[in-house]
Parts: sequence; structure tokens; C-alpha cells
Amino acid sequence: MTSNNPAVFLLMVNGQIEAADFPEYDDLYCKYCFVYGHDWAPTSGLEEGISQITSKGRGSQSLVWNFPLDITFKSTNPFGWPQIVVSVYGPDTFGNDVVRGYGAVHIPFTPGNWLMGRRPEFTDPKVVAQGEGREVTRVRSQGFVTLQFNIVTKDMKKLGYETTSEHSAATGLTRTSQQP
Amino acid sequence: MAELHIIGQIIGATGFPQNSLFCKWGVHTGGAWRLLSGLKEGQTQVDMPQTGDMAYWSHPIDLHYTTKGLQGWPKLHLQVWHQDSFGRCQLYGYGYIHVPSSPGQHRLQCVTWRPLGSWQDQLAEMFVGGGPQLRSPDLIYSGADRYRLHTVGMGTVELELCVILRHFDRYGVES
Repeated sequence: MTSNNPAVFLLMVNGQIEAADFPEYDDLYCKYCFVYGHDWAPTSGLEEGISQITSKGRGSQSLVWNFPLDITFKSTNPFGWPQIVVSVYGPDTFGNDVVRGYGAVHIPFTPGNWLMGRRPEFTDPKVVAQGEGREVTRVRSQGFVTLQFNIVTKDMKKLGYETTSEHSAATGLTRTSQQP
Repeated sequence: MAELHIIGQIIGATGFPQNSLFCKWGVHTGGAWRLLSGLKEGQTQVDMPQTGDMAYWSHPIDLHYTTKGLQGWPKLHLQVWHQDSFGRCQLYGYGYIHVPSSPGQHRLQCVTWRPLGSWQDQLAEMFVGGGPQLRSPDLIYSGADRYRLHTVGMGTVELELCVILRHFDRYGVES
């Protein structure tokens, strides 16, 4: 694959929604979707998904999903860098599904753990990924969701973007591909 | 012209006397910088953590600047406020950090401070709350006239910022 004068760069994301830590709730499932700016478009993979319902085991307190994420984006501009929005749902005392929390995080360059937990419910879960309009909400953070990411980028350097410093140590799971 | 992208989030705050906190933030740059896309100021939601001591906001930041010079490198300033159950807001701290100048992912801690009044003010504060505030937020990120202030340290705000530079090497800038 030769691209001497690329017009776009690619961001390939692999990973999983690993597990959740919600001390007060059990039998949870999660939904995810990606939110990105106008200059971005997914080229392959799934933009949204719903996981299985998971329960705490007898001995352990962890809620494991091990839910795969696999998507590739193309873009001309880092502005609007994709975020993943995760919503966690569980049953209330009557058996109806209610939301237990929301969170959003940017797709990172290094694999990251991130933390979430939110109430109340917004009608559009994508609101969680925006900065505007949050001033009037009061939330209670209740739990954590752990995600793992492997990131590969292509042609960002050819377009002039510096995303790592030469002086910084390389981290194990991040690679930038070098194409001839 | 060189370009700078700042992408990340204000994760949350820890070490403050009470939870139920929100944060007003802004980015200040010199005259050579121009904001192309993104919001350069905002306010997070109020978070009341159910477990643990840290208040989480996860407030996204996505800014795209272009610049003709290195002076006035962006500074991110914050004000942490506490909202009580009656809806009253009290200032809990001011702080600022420079946006990192090396490209890559950075985990940052921003320390905060709060102005102290006279001993009479402090006594009143113990009973009714409130407290002195800066008249102009410029003092948060500037050193001029700071010597007039007497302050006390407050908690820490955690941020994660990814910095992407573009075309800086064309102008001979090394980072």
C-alpha cells in the first residue's frame, strides 16, 4: 500500500469493554456508540453495539463483559477525535431496565482505564460526549467501567501531525505504522 | 502556519473539603494564536460521588489552534466551586496549568488555591460560608500583582490531555 501524498489519515481501534465495578448493582449490560466530528468517518467495523448481561460471581465483585470493539476511522483533521460513549443498564426492583450510568472518553493513543458513572438519564446518550450544556446537570458518580484499547494510526506523520515526542518512552501497546 | 490540537478531558477533582463540585474552565492564549474549532471555555456538571472521595466530571476538551509564534502558549485555568444542597455556590479554588508543549498523551495534576480574607472574614466563613473571590480571573494565570494575595491551598484537579502538533518542524521548532 503506497500513499505518497495521502489526503486522509487512518485511526484503527481494537479493544474491549472489559468489566465494570458497581458496588451497588448487579445484572448489568452496556451499550456503546462512537461520537466524532464532521471531518471523521468510519470506514469499517461497528459503530454501536449492545453487550451481554453479566452478573457478579459468588466470590468476586467484578462484572465482566469482555465485549470486543473493532473500528477504523478516516479523517483529514484531529478536531472531533472520536469518543466512545458507554451506557450501563440494569434492572430495578420491578425488573425494568434503568440506566445505571453514562460515560464518554476520547479514543486514546495509549491504552487507558477510564472511569464513569452518571445519573440522570439524557434522552440522547450522545450528549455525554459534548462539553456544552452540562452546567445545569447534577450527577452522582456510582461506579467504574474499564476499557482496553490498542491503537494504530496510518499517515498522520505524512500529513505533518506530530503525536509523540521523540524523547518519550515507547509504550507497549501503541504503534504507529510506517508505510513505504 | 503551525497548528496545535488539544484533545482530552478534565477527569475530576480530589482533596477538597466537600464533594458536590463543579469546575469552570477556560483556555487563554497570546495574541499570535487563533482558535479554529472547539470551545475555549466551559463549565462541567456538578458531581456528588456516591463512593470514594474523588468527584468525576470527564468533561471533554477538543481545541484546534493555529499560531504564528511561540509566545503566549496556551494556559488552561480552572475555578472549582462547591454547590450545596440548597443550590448555593461557594468558591473552592483557582488553578492553572500550561498546556504541555511536547506532543503525546499527558496525565496532569493542577493544584488549586483559595484567597484568605482577614481573620474576621475567616470567622464569618466558618458560620455562613462564602469567602473572598478574585475580581478578575486574569490573576489565576498571571504573576503580576500576586504579591498582594494571601491564600490557602486546596485540592487537586486531574486532567488528561493529548497534544498534537502540526508543521512546527517547518519553522525550525523542536519539541
